[in-house]
Amino acid sequence: MSLEDPQDQRGAQDRELVGVTEEGVDYDALEDLLGEKVIGRESHVNAEAFVIRPDEVQDTLFALRDEAGFDHCSCLTAQEYEDRYESIYHLKKYDDPTQEVGVVVPTSKRAPRSQTAEPVYRTADWHEREAYDLIGIDYDEHPDLRRILLPETWQGHPMGMDYNQDQPQVVTFESHTNPLAEDHKGEESDTMFINIGPHHPATHGVLHLKTVLDGEQVADVKPDIGYLHRCEEQMAQQGKYRKEIMPYPDRWDYSSAGILNEWAYARAAEDLADIDVPEYAQVVRTMSAELSRMAGHMLAVGTFALDVYGDFTAIFQYAFRDREKILNLLEDLTGQRLMFNYLRLGGLAWDLPEPREEYFDTVRDFLDELPQNVEEYHDLISSNEIFQIRCVDTGVLEPDVAKSYGATGPVARGSGIDYDLRRDDPYGYYPELDWDVITEDGCDNYARVLCRLQEVEQSARIIEQCVDLLEDWPEEDREIQSNVPRTLRPDEDAEIYRAVEAAKGELGIYIRSDGTDKPARFKIRSPCFSNLQTLPELSEGEYIPDLVASLGSLDIILGEVDR
Amino acid sequence: MSSQERSADTEAAVQSTQEDRMQGADDRFNSKLREAFGSSPFILTKFDQFMNWVRGSSMFMLQFGIACCSIEMMATYAIKHDLDRFGAGIPRASPRQADVIIVPGTIVSKFAPRMKRVYDQMPEPKFVVSMGSCTISGGPFQKGYNVVKGAEEVIPCDIHVPGCPPRPEALIYGVAKLQERIANGESSPVTVKPYELKQFGDLEQDELVDHLAQDIDEETLVMRYNWADSP
Amino acid sequence: MTGTAGTVGETASVFLQSGSGQGATEGAPLADTVGRLLGFGSNMGPGETLIAAFIGAFFIGNLMLAMTGVAGPWAKRKITAAFTDRIAVNRVGPFGLLIIVADAVRLLSKELVVPDGVDRPAWDIAPILMAGSALLGFAVIPMGNGIQLADPETGLVYVFAVSSLASLGLVAAGYASNNKYSLLGGLRSIAQNIAYEIPLVITAASVVIFAGTLQLSGIVAAQTEPLVTILGVSIPAWYAFVNPFAFVLFMAANLAEVGRNPFDIPEAPTEIVAGYQTEYSSVYFVLMYLGEFLHIFLGGAIIATLFLGGPAGPVLPGIVWFIIKIWAVFLFTQWMRSAIPRVRIDQLIEIGWKGMLVLSFANLVLTAVIVGLIA
Repeated sequence: MSLEDPQDQRGAQDRELVGVTEEGVDYDALEDLLGEKVIGRESHVNAEAFVIRPDEVQDTLFALRDEAGFDHCSCLTAQEYEDRYESIYHLKKYDDPTQEVGVVVPTSKRAPRSQTAEPVYRTADWHEREAYDLIGIDYDEHPDLRRILLPETWQGHPMGMDYNQDQPQVVTFESHTNPLAEDHKGEESDTMFINIGPHHPATHGVLHLKTVLDGEQVADVKPDIGYLHRCEEQMAQQGKYRKEIMPYPDRWDYSSAGILNEWAYARAAEDLADIDVPEYAQVVRTMSAELSRMAGHMLAVGTFALDVYGDFTAIFQYAFRDREKILNLLEDLTGQRLMFNYLRLGGLAWDLPEPREEYFDTVRDFLDELPQNVEEYHDLISSNEIFQIRCVDTGVLEPDVAKSYGATGPVARGSGIDYDLRRDDPYGYYPELDWDVITEDGCDNYARVLCRLQEVEQSARIIEQCVDLLEDWPEEDREIQSNVPRTLRPDEDAEIYRAVEAAKGELGIYIRSDGTDKPARFKIRSPCFSNLQTLPELSEGEYIPDLVASLGSLDIILGEVDR
Repeated sequence: MSSQERSADTEAAVQSTQEDRMQGADDRFNSKLREAFGSSPFILTKFDQFMNWVRGSSMFMLQFGIACCSIEMMATYAIKHDLDRFGAGIPRASPRQADVIIVPGTIVSKFAPRMKRVYDQMPEPKFVVSMGSCTISGGPFQKGYNVVKGAEEVIPCDIHVPGCPPRPEALIYGVAKLQERIANGESSPVTVKPYELKQFGDLEQDELVDHLAQDIDEETLVMRYNWADSP
Repeated sequence: MTGTAGTVGETASVFLQSGSGQGATEGAPLADTVGRLLGFGSNMGPGETLIAAFIGAFFIGNLMLAMTGVAGPWAKRKITAAFTDRIAVNRVGPFGLLIIVADAVRLLSKELVVPDGVDRPAWDIAPILMAGSALLGFAVIPMGNGIQLADPETGLVYVFAVSSLASLGLVAAGYASNNKYSLLGGLRSIAQNIAYEIPLVITAASVVIFAGTLQLSGIVAAQTEPLVTILGVSIPAWYAFVNPFAFVLFMAANLAEVGRNPFDIPEAPTEIVAGYQTEYSSVYFVLMYLGEFLHIFLGGAIIATLFLGGPAGPVLPGIVWFIIKIWAVFLFTQWMRSAIPRVRIDQLIEIGWKGMLVLSFANLVLTAVIVGLIA
């Protein structure tokens, strides 16, 4: 883990990084760096991948992190083949996410054991637990290899090949014991175990925090997730590429950020099947995605205020008032308030609503009012002194810790990490538009909230430019859909990992095709999953109210955490 | 959900729970006074009407969010739709003080026992509004390995609001309908499939139970899912 | 919990003594008026005094409970709705007013859940204690038009004494509920009440220095003289005008005392569910809820008496002015609740002990010096 040896990492940044060239990553140089450890090489659509032996995972990843600068373990995909299990570590760089590399670790079918990557990237902790839970790969030396999404008494590994879905299951409902009880010194000292959630006003859904309190202070907190694990990956693997998968992304991050999620799937599938998207559709996608982002951030600010202020007070209600306006715009565009199902592979479901002028006017009216409304939020929230003493310097997330946990989105940007896939790994119409990536150096709850409020303004800038472009777009060029075969069958064994900047951060999709019209493996890299992992870092040693505030500032959506 | 598809066992169990709920008039409206008087004298009828009006006019909701629908539920409480106009807009965080639980989202195997417990913690008379397709049948996730096929598998529901998610207007309509029913003294024919919390020791012995016997204490509460019997 | 019961008994007896003993000598306490109306004559026997006092207490108690009834289910919603651009209850009766009946009857008719392992009878006594302590406080408040149940010479001390009994109820509720959230809520409330009661009392002491008496009718009387006369309008010497600093301090400390934002941490729904009242349902919850609002009104009554001239005001009768002032304070607490974030427990304690306490002592010393120099 990088924190153990920060000197070394800083050294690595000063040093010439291996495998960096003008054009991107020089995979041959990386192969030379790894030397004997590489036993094979695969070509994924997004990057090259090295096949290594299961007992050399840590050595390989340390080399790639420290010598080649791959400091972002974006995702871990586990899957089962007819003859083997496979874990794929998708590595990226925070400085330049277009530089990617995959590390493929095959393990035998009989005893799927692989070395853990947790000492290299802390984020691997939960990712490996998920792989163990759903696929059934054992990770040696893993600090806490338990089921994460399914109940601990579950039988079988549901994403494996020979899982029988009809077998009965028994789920326990038990009281928990204090994990720190053994550490007590003497009779007098005492800590209290308390369950926060899964039904609790502050958990934003059905998160369960196993918390140990020392008085009012949090001595230990362990998030327990999986109360909303509704098999999104299985659902996607059962759907056909063309139309049957697209409705599900809306339900991952359901804070009305649906179009951003749809784009994640669209981008991965389009790149996999080599589909072009017309420029006009890209602009409409960009506009609708930013509307979604604004609605998501409004909800985040509103519920954060709910956590810090108490009841359903003014800020929460005002945030919902402004959110309603955005939802109206999105409803005019897509026909739905929350589950838009608007993007299609290779384009859009339909064009802007007629009369177009009227629609543009409503969007403009909304954008004109927005600065005033944002000012109101600043008056009510960020310039309130009580709010400041509550939020400044609480829930501190240092940048290198954030990187090690794979934090992205406003959580990373609130810690001063300048990382935004819209700019760094350009897609859509973003590169042609004029906007800024917001970063705040505070690293605390306050910085994260401020970051979101400012991103709302940036989204407004993007939308404004999109509206201008769309208004002047010649009528004969309004192509919303490119040619896509009726039944989409990407090449056999094509693999891709692609991410977009969703409302909460990097939302990545891994798809492996087996030549049929349904994906063989569909893996979702959810930003909330990684962001939530930082919660113990944010809140241990702090007070309960700060734990609640930190959780609010991470802005997790349980649908996306549990998938 | 046609009854032919169910096995004979399940149907018998459904009927027995139905009967348990439906003894005479709905238990939730029955009072000791009525038991004492035996029939329905004028004063008690008027009193009943008054109580029905009271329960139908004002209700505290449980602050209970699960999934996508809870976002629309929050929108229903908030400015534009303002559920409080109907006297149903005070979310209470503690189930002890709530009358109505809106179940807004997909219920999965890990959460169902917890939801059952939260429902049990609410004082009678209590009502359930199941919101969205997932609480009716599992909705788009019905085929998932982990998804309970509807809230009625676990707790009895009074009103179903379909939609994915239902619009706030639909939820308001659902709540208003519930209030109307309560005010008229109607009760729903409630069907509960018996996913109950049981002590592990009381489960029928079979392969799975034997297998888990080392891990689970006899007295631990468990919920057993027979996925094969699900509709 | 026998101690608790004893305390209530003692207080009740103090209350009765003050009702009968002081009543005959001072001002126009309500018992005398009631006695005259009942035709008991000017020299009432002990039995007659008791009956008259009970009728008076019944009247005041019901007045306050009626106000709470309006405030809790209806006014609170309407006020909050006004702050958040909503409408709130409007279907049941005119302006939704019948929701008061519906809410009250519904809550009372719910099943009373007694959770496993609660510590009875402490669990049962706590809600009664909370509502009762606030009601007792109103016994000595002069509400104008001769409505004052008793007027003991130590009225101010008595008010603070009975209203702090609520802390006992809070901690009993928190401890007896067998719920960790309740326990946290109970402990928080006790820490908060101790930290803020001292500044509250000391600030009130500065008023006593001005007025030279602890008797509430005396304090009200001291505020009747005009302070200044501007353009023919004479501004009375209300202590809010004479010593605005003390007024602000007292308002802030009062917010903490009644547990409203920014000091609503004993309840803090998003942190500890509902704090000490998490496990209470039905009648006990109603009592808790009543107690909370009664305390807000008692706080308002104390502020009105100490700083706003009690029932004084032009044109309208005293009791109307008094109720207007109480409601103004209630409105203020609801405003705070809608607009201000809550502080953290350690910050609250810090503000209490390091800020409010120091300021209140400074205020006291300053007041003493000024009064000493002038007098």
